[in-house]
Amino acid sequence: MSEVTKTGATPYDEMYTADGAVRPHYRPYAQWLEEVPRALIERKRSEADIAFHRVGITFNVYGAEGGKERLIPFDLLPRIIPGHEWSELERGLAQRVRALNAFLADIYHDQEILRAGRIPADQILSNAQFRPEMKGVKVPGGLYSMIAGIDLVRAAGADGSGEFFVLEDNLRVPSGVSYMLENRKMMMRLFPDLFSRYHVQPVEHYPDLLLETLRAVAPAGVVDPTVVVLTPGAYNSAYFEHSFLAQQMGVELVEGQDMFVQDDVLYMRTTQGPRRVDVIYRRIDDDFLDPLAFRADSMLGVPGLMRAYQAGHVTLANAVGTGVADDKSIYPYVPEMVRFYLGEEPVLNNVPTWMLREKDDLAYVLEHLPELVVKEVHGAGGYGMLVGPASTRAEIEDFRQRILAAPEKYIAQPTLSLSSCPTFVEAGIAPRHIDLRPFVLSGGKQVRMVPGGLTRVALKEGSLVVNSSQGGGTKDTWVVD
Amino acid sequence: MPLYDILHDTVYRYDSAVMLSQQIAHLRPRDAAGQHCLSHSLTIAPEAARRVERTDFFGNPVTGFSLYAPHDTLAVHARTRVHVEPALWPAAADSPAWEAARDHLRDGLSGHAPLQADARDAGQYRFASPFVPLGDESLRYADYALQSFTPERPMVEALLALSARIHADFQFDPAATSVATPVAEVFDRRRGVCQDFSHLMIACLRALGLAARYVSGYLLTEPPPGQPRLIGADASHAWVAAWCPGLGWVDVDPTNDVQPDTGHITLAWGRDYGDVCPLRGVILGGGGHSAEVAVTVIPVDEMAAHDDQAAGADGHAPE
Repeated sequence: MSEVTKTGATPYDEMYTADGAVRPHYRPYAQWLEEVPRALIERKRSEADIAFHRVGITFNVYGAEGGKERLIPFDLLPRIIPGHEWSELERGLAQRVRALNAFLADIYHDQEILRAGRIPADQILSNAQFRPEMKGVKVPGGLYSMIAGIDLVRAAGADGSGEFFVLEDNLRVPSGVSYMLENRKMMMRLFPDLFSRYHVQPVEHYPDLLLETLRAVAPAGVVDPTVVVLTPGAYNSAYFEHSFLAQQMGVELVEGQDMFVQDDVLYMRTTQGPRRVDVIYRRIDDDFLDPLAFRADSMLGVPGLMRAYQAGHVTLANAVGTGVADDKSIYPYVPEMVRFYLGEEPVLNNVPTWMLREKDDLAYVLEHLPELVVKEVHGAGGYGMLVGPASTRAEIEDFRQRILAAPEKYIAQPTLSLSSCPTFVEAGIAPRHIDLRPFVLSGGKQVRMVPGGLTRVALKEGSLVVNSSQGGGTKDTWVVD
Repeated sequence: MPLYDILHDTVYRYDSAVMLSQQIAHLRPRDAAGQHCLSHSLTIAPEAARRVERTDFFGNPVTGFSLYAPHDTLAVHARTRVHVEPALWPAAADSPAWEAARDHLRDGLSGHAPLQADARDAGQYRFASPFVPLGDESLRYADYALQSFTPERPMVEALLALSARIHADFQFDPAATSVATPVAEVFDRRRGVCQDFSHLMIACLRALGLAARYVSGYLLTEPPPGQPRLIGADASHAWVAAWCPGLGWVDVDPTNDVQPDTGHITLAWGRDYGDVCPLRGVILGGGGHSAEVAVTVIPVDEMAAHDDQAAGADGHAPE
């Protein structure tokens, strides 16, 4: 997951230029905002809260006291992206995901990139997400991450322009797409007149694209594949999304106990008897997929699933072992993957990253801790990190000791001055930091995505973290022509 | 040239019927340097509905089988004839300094030198694995190992020295540990069985930056002088192999402080026990269960005598 940071520099504002003028793509919105009374917006806000409760869009927060589920705060002020900016992003995202899939295919077969010395082998072999079980396994289309969530942030350049950077790749089970869809529905319902002022590119067809993608990666020879969504169950933080997507695609939502493997073929139990399953959109982690192959104590998976998978009788989306490519220790090498596999220059840049396993990088980072963001290589969800500018001296010293004990466990990045977007807050409208997670689908020969993605916003003033698990909110994201 | 017949019998008895059972067996010996499997049969009772032979990712033969009919007993009988030649271990003093192995792996794997195929293969066994987590304990293992791995010491000599210390410092005690006992606890309590000592030695070697793998197999035990070999008195065994540039894999058995020779029969190798355990599975139903495992390693020249004796004991002596 991602986190937003700021420094003393003025962040790039999505709506206003540095001298306070409204950017062209926000002008119709600004005009609308002047026309409508503030009370109306207040009323719409409470309508939105009620509606979200009714639909049941909730998110479980691990370790939180009190109720198990809560609403992810939804902000009514949309994040607007001009069409020409999006085209460029789309090109970069498709390129990046192609390279990542090529990397995964390589790592589990010939390992050319290791032999060529472009990525150190220990980064792969010491990675717990590298699955020897996947070595030599043929997957349909050579695709591993059919559903990828790529986290982007925009940082202010010295000239006042804003450049997008990739903060993180999510190649295992990226979540959040249901919020993207529900946010749009909500905005259209609350403010239909706004949509007459803009030509907002649609996102509603995401479930159709997802289903097409999943059907395209069915085992060879299957004509009319049966697709299911595999969930760990109602206690998972993203259970709402699992049921939502299954329902939107018109496929079964299953748990491990609903399926069994016989003769290396996967079946689900139905009221009409066993039915063969060809493609699983799985929303559970590798470790829990098959107690016979991975964690023996897993009650969530299906015994024998790995064997059926290795035999090519069922497709898992995403594949097993994709985590080796979205680890923070591998992230610095993604631009190199683009060059190595595609022979192209990356369209999207990485945030500059220091790898503390390297002596020089470590020395620099230890000297500049108060300015930097330090992350655990294998961490996720905004846990286990140091945000230098927002930390006390004691916290920094504490973290320094942790780094010194095992430098190879950490990477560091500059605290970028990340973009902000006006957001409704208690006191009116104020800028808040945002990021963007587009969802990139790979099936057959195509890489596709719906315009935009999920915009997450850090609701606390000056807050640096947008993760849902850390109290962030979301916005509707408009790509406009 | 020793020839062995190996009997490996496993019987599970369940309190109530098992409806569905899926098992993976690492019971067919892989071919290894100086070792060749001449015949192997696996009898499963009740008969398996499905059986698949394949090779796992470390090159070990694997038999997968499933039972779909209710049963309250599962018996797996492996019968193997294997030919083992005397081992040709390098002279300990002539092996390269142990740091050469560490540096070769480090430089190749970290991208500071071209990655050689041998280092790429050995690299699979260089890092923490599920049964050999390193983490914060790594320093303790390294400290222990460094007493044997002194600067510039020949790799094989250091390896044997470490094996000797584990043998001396740790007590063999089948009651002290179970399959689930973590290495760190074995290290603290200084007792365990072959599996524990092997994991511990692997942890020590990996903590130094060396590649070490877990070898699962059998050990020929000699009955006390004048007494017949007891059927089922042996057990599965485990030991360690460490990697050295130029020499390849060098086996050592810390439980007995010996270098494996014709008395050690290799079944399979992997990162740790979890990759190669002889039989593992998932069942539906069954309630509680008990397991009996009996292993016998019989030199083939003894076989005739053994047959006579067994037949006599059963009271079915030939006329």
